[in-house]
Amino acid sequence: MRRIGILVFCVVVALLIVIPPMANGYYRSLFYITLLYVALAYGWNVISGYAGYFSFGQVTFFGLGAYVTAIVVTKTPLPWEIGALLGGVVSAAFAVPLGYLMLRLRGPFFALGMLGLARTLQVAANSMGITGGGQGLFLPPGSNALSVYYWTLAIAVLAFAGTWLIDHSAFGLRLQALREDEQVAATLGVHVTTQKVYAFIISAAIPGLLGGGYAWYLTYVNPVSVFSTSIDLQAVAMTILGGIGTVWGPLIGGVLISQISEALAAQYPQAFLMIFGGLVVALLVFLPRGIAPACAAALSRRRARAKPAEART
Amino acid sequence: MSAPLLVVDNVTRTFGGVRALDGVSLEIREGEIVSIIGPNGAGKTTLFNIVSGVLRPTSGDVRFMDRSIVGWSPQRIAAAGIARTYQIARPFVRLSVLDNVAVGALTHERTLERARAAAREVLEMTGLAPYADRPASDLTITQRKRLEAARALALRPKLLLLDEVMAGLTPTEIDAMAVFIEQLRERGIAAIGGVEHVMRVVMKISHRIVVLDFGKTIADGTPAEIAADPRVGEAYFGTSLEEASAS
Repeated sequence: MRRIGILVFCVVVALLIVIPPMANGYYRSLFYITLLYVALAYGWNVISGYAGYFSFGQVTFFGLGAYVTAIVVTKTPLPWEIGALLGGVVSAAFAVPLGYLMLRLRGPFFALGMLGLARTLQVAANSMGITGGGQGLFLPPGSNALSVYYWTLAIAVLAFAGTWLIDHSAFGLRLQALREDEQVAATLGVHVTTQKVYAFIISAAIPGLLGGGYAWYLTYVNPVSVFSTSIDLQAVAMTILGGIGTVWGPLIGGVLISQISEALAAQYPQAFLMIFGGLVVALLVFLPRGIAPACAAALSRRRARAKPAEART
Repeated sequence: MSAPLLVVDNVTRTFGGVRALDGVSLEIREGEIVSIIGPNGAGKTTLFNIVSGVLRPTSGDVRFMDRSIVGWSPQRIAAAGIARTYQIARPFVRLSVLDNVAVGALTHERTLERARAAAREVLEMTGLAPYADRPASDLTITQRKRLEAARALALRPKLLLLDEVMAGLTPTEIDAMAVFIEQLRERGIAAIGGVEHVMRVVMKISHRIVVLDFGKTIADGTPAEIAADPRVGEAYFGTSLEEASAS
């Protein structure tokens, strides 16, 4: 079972490497946007899915990565990849003090705190000179979108593999334990604060690394576009629909939502949002824990039927 | 005589104007089983919360193996060898029974595989092995109580704080829990049990009994001494303790 999984994974990654250079611009950007959201969903899934701290402000780090990259390419001769990498490093570093501060808040207070943080950075970007104020920054045009695509593919693959590792590690179990009951986890020896901050750093580094690619792809950053709450909300919706706190959830939800919304937008440009919203509601009503857990449950039921039923004790 | 494992030294804890604990002192030695009895609100759970680091005492000191643990985080106290259960079982409902127990084992095992192997052993001991791969939400109340104990044991503690492990159990289950507690001594684990009722079992398995009332220790001695203590028998139970324990 696992061997088949690894094989499928390798084939899919190979196809994702080979196809886009041959595809036209429309499909290339569809591939890019899909992968971008899948990777963002994986980033959100660590702090919010595994550790249970719902964040509505991880876009803070996406915007930070985008601005760091824009500043690097406009003010220095360095390539955008260095800027994007630096964006990831800055985001991760920023997440350390921020994590210790913000993760004292729980539930809706943490979610709203993070939402507020994104707005704070948006306002800061709007009013500072180095960020170009409300006008934003223009990056050199005629950029190579394919390099952005590969950058994003690499991060998405790493985010997926990293999530698999977390799910199968002591770290992942500690995160899930503190998600279920923080006080009990602490009395069972879990260093709750440290584990939460680690999760927060991972969930900051991923959007931080992705932001730079987005800036290069758009050739333009401004406070509204890269700190937009709708970026966060899409990643959140994808993860919840696919299965929050699971390895496959962000991938399933991310691919499904971006493809369906794209197809609907092309077919029914007027009614698209209405149909799409209805679909999301229907899915959540029938599969409240998401698609991945529902599939896993169906699979284990089939396996249980295949085996002669063991005596239930 | 060996030095005490745990010393609670004149601990007071107030919540606003309420003195939940008022100058409580007690000692427990290695392998000893001490029961703290007292009615609801006597301060048992507050005492457990202070010893396990969930709360800090307003004044007084708590020493474990000759070191003051006041101000230590719960996880540090857990790793040092004090495990606790909760009065109302608080399983990680979305995790498997095995993983519930493996969390505690991670304090001494580095990898998840080894923690799970250690957890399996504890599940065997506590009779929960058949449920290892079920989500903890599937367990009954009795099984959840056992899971509380199993998780605590997975920490390999020197001292176990059992907050009302008998509450809500049937007489048969109480006997099974009593056997379990007596087995702790064979493993060299000391235990403090907080108990509201079930005097029959308390008299049988305890080395010592501490009686708490309104945050104060009103008696501390062997079961025989406590049973003979007129203050406990009459002022506290309203009847002699022999009668109470016979019921």
